[in-house]
Amino acid sequence: MTVPEPMPDIVYRPRGRVPGTVAGAHRGRDAGGLGTFRDQVPFLRMPDARRIDVRATLRDPFEGTYVRRFESRTSIEVWALVDLSASMRFSGEADRMELVSALCGCLAASATRIGDAFGLMGCDATVREDVLLPASRRRSIAAEVASRLAGAACTVDRADGMEEAARRLVGRPKIVFLISDFRWPDAAIANTFSSLARHDLVPVVVADAAEEEGLPEWGLMELDDLEGAGRRVVFMRPSLRRRWIAREAERASTLRRIATAYGRPPFRLSGRFDPDAVSRHLLAS
Amino acid sequence: MMRVSAEHSWLLWLLPLALLPLAVSSQRLTRVSSIAAGPLDGLSRAIGWSLRAAGFLAIGGLVVALSGPYRQGETITRTGIGAQVSILVDRSGSMNETFAGRQPSGAEESKAAASRRLLADFVGSRAHDQFAVTAFSTAPMLVVPMTDRHEAVRAAIAAIDRPGLDYTNVARGLAMALSQFGANAANVSRALLIVSDGAAVIDPRVQGALRAEFARIRPNLYWLFLRTKGSPSISDKPSGEDTPQAAPERHLDLFFKSLGTPYRAFEAEGAEAVADAIGQIERLERDPIPYTEQRPRRDLSRWAYGLSLIGLLALVAGKLAEADPSLRRRRGRVDASVVEPATSRLAA
Repeated sequence: MTVPEPMPDIVYRPRGRVPGTVAGAHRGRDAGGLGTFRDQVPFLRMPDARRIDVRATLRDPFEGTYVRRFESRTSIEVWALVDLSASMRFSGEADRMELVSALCGCLAASATRIGDAFGLMGCDATVREDVLLPASRRRSIAAEVASRLAGAACTVDRADGMEEAARRLVGRPKIVFLISDFRWPDAAIANTFSSLARHDLVPVVVADAAEEEGLPEWGLMELDDLEGAGRRVVFMRPSLRRRWIAREAERASTLRRIATAYGRPPFRLSGRFDPDAVSRHLLAS
Repeated sequence: MMRVSAEHSWLLWLLPLALLPLAVSSQRLTRVSSIAAGPLDGLSRAIGWSLRAAGFLAIGGLVVALSGPYRQGETITRTGIGAQVSILVDRSGSMNETFAGRQPSGAEESKAAASRRLLADFVGSRAHDQFAVTAFSTAPMLVVPMTDRHEAVRAAIAAIDRPGLDYTNVARGLAMALSQFGANAANVSRALLIVSDGAAVIDPRVQGALRAEFARIRPNLYWLFLRTKGSPSISDKPSGEDTPQAAPERHLDLFFKSLGTPYRAFEAEGAEAVADAIGQIERLERDPIPYTEQRPRRDLSRWAYGLSLIGLLALVAGKLAEADPSLRRRRGRVDASVVEPATSRLAA
């Protein structure tokens, strides 16, 4: 087995304060006795005599007693929901499933390294039990994710399983990476997003330049739909290419509009997987 | 009606293969994640369907061509304007003389040559005339039976200025010329054209049979009498005894007149007069005539090959016009590697 070259971790930061009691790397909602200083509260709100803030107590003209509160560090579950419909078999500039597999592997490694649990769920028309890894903190999950995704066959022409997957993600809010090419009807996209709205949702659009800027200027192309919607001859010429790219841009902006209504703007994964780009996107949004 | 059949008709069972382009395409497939991504485009759709049609044409044409199609030969009966003309030509030795009664020399034309020239024009002038050519001298000779092959008739007429034989035996010639008309179609206009420069006595025993024959067939009778200068005319009464032996022309004329069929005699003393006479005959014989047309069996496989060639050429054109996205991608990668050092240098 070849040793994978070291890859930078994906740095992510959950939105807001994370509830939960398991110690981890993220800012928790609960205040505790350890961690970074958060605020001072009256002694009666948190009767912890070990953390009486003497300075604040003396400063108070009404002679109240204050206690320092510290932010607890909490862990969060990171889930990757992977669209396994047939269109994910697309291989243009890069193989779509390879990209997805690299992203998920890197996410799993990054999450488990800082003590977060990582779970994987593949969906086509239903949730795929063969590509289902419950959230776990063990470090070996990264390799397992890669092998599960490599063995996953993408054959079904729908991705309705996403809503079922959303129902399965119960409990505390999680970071959910929704990885798909989003070649779904707008209504299905909106439904999926709204059913996942509880979570910190990061849509990842797997795109390919071959479907946009990489289109030829001239020539005949016979398009074959990976999801079995038929074949069509297209006579490429500059005007049609412009129309095509404009349509794709419009689709991307629609997706962006829906996604930002429910959380973060989508991340575009195209051509090459770059963990730093994901980190930048996650920290910026 | 056109009837088409095929040499190896069992091969036509392969024709359903022509529907193959509906299922399979010769173009390189570009797999896309969603076909809806490509905008709908009328021109593209037209090209797509025409490529399919080209595939259909190519396979179907080849199958049909291999099965060896042909159109069956047949006989077609049509109606045109024309007449059945039986030409009876005198081949006696005197026809080789000029109108002046000499052997032709220099620019002079013998009677036979003049009649040949003019008759040849007559034959070609109307498409649906049918002709039979009979020659006679001592014995009648059937040259061409009743036919609408004008080439053959012209060839027959071209042969009438060959050196003639001696005597003139009109009676048997007439009988044979009449026999060319056959029995069919009563409403066809029929003409019997006798070209001779002399006449002979018709045996009274034969006369009866000829009369009966004329009465049955009822042809329009034209006698083109090529009169040598100085010889007696048709209407000239001989100075001596008025017997058939003394004036055979006059008596043949009388015999024709007595037949009861439409009859005209043209007395021509030169090439122009002959032309006049023939022109008149042409004008008189204008009636509808049913004629048959022979169509030979015709091989149609070349048309089928042609059709499949059109289809194949369209397919090849489609193949040549094919865009290769992977090629472009590779080229793009090369460009990127060329550009990269430059940018890194700039950065440094």
